[in-house]
Amino acid sequence: MNFDLLKNALVKALLEEGLTEYEIYYMSDESVSVATLNKEVNSFSSSESGGLCLRVLVDGKMGYASTELMSESEMAELPRRAKSNAEATEKPDTVGIYAGSDSYEELKIKKVELLSAADLKDYAIKTGEALFAKDPAVKEGTSSQAICAGTTVRLVNSHGVDLSLDCGINALIGEAVVGVGDENQQDYSFKILTGDETVTEVVDEAVSEALARIGAGSVDSGKYNVVISGNQMRSLLSVFSSAFSAKAVIDGMSRLKGKEGEKIASEIVTITDDPQREGNAVGTTFDAEGVATHRKAVVEAGVLKTFLHNRETALAMGKETTANASKAGYSSPIGIRPYSFAIEPGDKSQDELFAMAGDGIYITEINGLHAGANPVSGDFSLQSAGFLIKDGKKAEAVKGFTVAGNFFELMKSISSLGNKLERGVTTGFTGFCSPDVLVPGMSIAGK
Amino acid sequence: MIEKRLYEQILSIALSGGADFAEVYCEYTHNGRISLLNERIESITDEVVSGVGIRAFRGTSTVYGSTSDTTPLGLIKCARSVAAAMGEVGEGQSVVLTERIFPNIHPVRIAPASAETSIKTDLLKLACSSAKAYDKRIIQAAGNLLTVDHTIEIANSEGLLTSDRHIRTRMAVSAIASDGTETQSGSCSPGRGMGLEVFEMFKPEDIGTEAARQAMVNLGAVYCPAGQMPVAIESGFGGVIFHEACGHSLEATSVGIGCSEMCGKLGQKVANEKVTAIDDGTIPGAWGSVNIDDEGHPTQRNVLIENGVLRSYMIDRLGSRRMGMPSTGNARRQSYAYEPTSRMTNTFIDNGPDRNEDIIASIEYGLYAKSMGGGSVNPLTGDFNFAVNEGYIVRNGKICEAVRGASLIGNGSKIIQDIDMVGQNLATGQGMCGSSSGSVPTDVGQPLIRVSNITVGGR
Repeated sequence: MNFDLLKNALVKALLEEGLTEYEIYYMSDESVSVATLNKEVNSFSSSESGGLCLRVLVDGKMGYASTELMSESEMAELPRRAKSNAEATEKPDTVGIYAGSDSYEELKIKKVELLSAADLKDYAIKTGEALFAKDPAVKEGTSSQAICAGTTVRLVNSHGVDLSLDCGINALIGEAVVGVGDENQQDYSFKILTGDETVTEVVDEAVSEALARIGAGSVDSGKYNVVISGNQMRSLLSVFSSAFSAKAVIDGMSRLKGKEGEKIASEIVTITDDPQREGNAVGTTFDAEGVATHRKAVVEAGVLKTFLHNRETALAMGKETTANASKAGYSSPIGIRPYSFAIEPGDKSQDELFAMAGDGIYITEINGLHAGANPVSGDFSLQSAGFLIKDGKKAEAVKGFTVAGNFFELMKSISSLGNKLERGVTTGFTGFCSPDVLVPGMSIAGK
Repeated sequence: MIEKRLYEQILSIALSGGADFAEVYCEYTHNGRISLLNERIESITDEVVSGVGIRAFRGTSTVYGSTSDTTPLGLIKCARSVAAAMGEVGEGQSVVLTERIFPNIHPVRIAPASAETSIKTDLLKLACSSAKAYDKRIIQAAGNLLTVDHTIEIANSEGLLTSDRHIRTRMAVSAIASDGTETQSGSCSPGRGMGLEVFEMFKPEDIGTEAARQAMVNLGAVYCPAGQMPVAIESGFGGVIFHEACGHSLEATSVGIGCSEMCGKLGQKVANEKVTAIDDGTIPGAWGSVNIDDEGHPTQRNVLIENGVLRSYMIDRLGSRRMGMPSTGNARRQSYAYEPTSRMTNTFIDNGPDRNEDIIASIEYGLYAKSMGGGSVNPLTGDFNFAVNEGYIVRNGKICEAVRGASLIGNGSKIIQDIDMVGQNLATGQGMCGSSSGSVPTDVGQPLIRVSNITVGGR
């Protein structure tokens, strides 16, 4: 059934239940992926799915019900489920369904044309072959994958708001397994696919980073000047970004509570949130409530300027919404998430950062973020790998150590920023970016 | 959910691209979530997951298509795209299905969907109010009650047509403690492959109290010192050490493509002789149990390591083709949108010969990890990490001050050699394990164990 037929069936059922304030949020995804293992195509997969989430206001409380079953009978059933869920909810809804913004930004990031299965197959094979051709140490288990993924969102509500968004990416992954002597190592590279040059970039990065891991030594426990790579700092930022959510603040789950206007980071740190960051593959012009989105500074020169809000938290704290209402999945309740959340780059080249560190460690891998980092307290202790920095230069590979600290203290002690912004590949609307950062005196546990 | 004749038609189409095997997986799942925050029900969401995954094999090449469009036309379109991706489409071999019913060894007394919402909200309120009542410094207690009612049908070109219904229930409470300067958290989240009767086994007030107790311990804890030391890891979720350090490396997902440090080691001594490790998907009502796996193969008890010797891998159908070994009933997937692969079910280190008190007494200076968080591993190298949620320093054989912010890192094949004491209080803990076929419920478990030397990350 197409969306309009579904919507008509649903609206009819809503009116029969006496429900006049509602929102219909429909999200559909399609993706195709072709993978090789040892240069041979070994897997092809395609998926299509679509889900519809109904939000209704019943006696001042919000009820949700969601389904992937797109039939007329399911649409007739959904309002009753949402109503019953609203009735058992105890939290009053203070903002209701959104009446719509006066204007919305133009969508600057246009959807790319998704590659055909045949093109994906060509890219996967080319990449698989190039990985093996790159170095004789590349061995069995080496794989590649070319992917296209598209998402469509439609938000329609009882106030006449009708918004839609269509976005997609093509991406390439190369995973190199290398063996030298008895030791095997692997690494991967994941990039937005724009053409044959991406194949070269992915292959070079995956193979060189896998090889760099071979023969990694250990480090002594102690305090070190640490350069955290942009990609790893991005991951740390993603884990602790919940502290910037006004909902976490209101619920007593953020250490940043009461710190608006205060210095929470080193004065060289500026963090922006941009729904349409230049250079990103996906972007949006409206949030999960239908509010028009915009770029904002969250931290400016180390000072916390604003928390991230949806309409409910903004009302509770006497602020304007920052249009960061979000849903973790199509069926999730309205929460808060950033869009493209970035520590803005500074002016130092990587070599300059190493020179400033003198003797220290360059961290290029952090694992176990879902467990070894506590978003509430800010404490982290994480398995890491990277390179020693000796006399201001990158030296031999090291692994098998942890880096420990507290994110909120780390933000205050960042002493220098790299000049290149690293950004991840994401198919959703939330992503994190960071340059390399230099942090003096971090705790390292090794041998 | 789908007529037998339509299954036969879809399978025949899926085979028509030159495949030697085809399978259809059809799912209808109702997920319910009730969230409590600030002492009131914050939100209630429910979701119907409905769709079909169609898979075809030729040798070890696979094609997978999935769709939420479960109309006959949608299914035929998906099957045709699978056939076309496999190769030149010809005449599909006809398939005749025979229905097979496997026994249900996980009976449910109170299906969550059939209970009044107020019964569920009351359970959650009881847990969270117990957490708040534990201490004045507990400033927040958040709870979720999660219920899953999952029905699947599986048909394949070998003639199998079967189905299963699986229900699971979990309550997760997290407590936040603050003394005005420090903020720390604690959590407790038991679950079972059962209905609401699970709360006769786990009293909601105990769940809340445990979360609050852990948050208060962490509030009073000092930072964990860093370095290498012996560590005693408590039973229950402590078993995550085996899950990460060894379990993933025994899955056909990595063994079948030669990317595991456990390749080619069957019959060899890979662990300390005190270590016997088992994966058992048949434990009645356990969190990681199912009657049949997601390829329609009954789950079974697999002894992975017996007295230190590697006895078995965990194998799905594709892994079986790659490795030339039979399936072990370990094929799992989060939903129809994922191609299944070999995964753990309930995986644990069995009871050993040592008395628990002797294990603590044996440590001159080290760490007692009472409660573990999650972790991760690289199966190729065996390098793993996991977090300690509640830990204490051990001095002269006595448990002393609480420490926080610790993690343990090491290498799997080395650490299982270094598990040199195994106690006798086997218990399990519940987790959601993430891998290429999505997030699936798995139990981890062990008695109290001692690892003779491991790197403790702290500061």
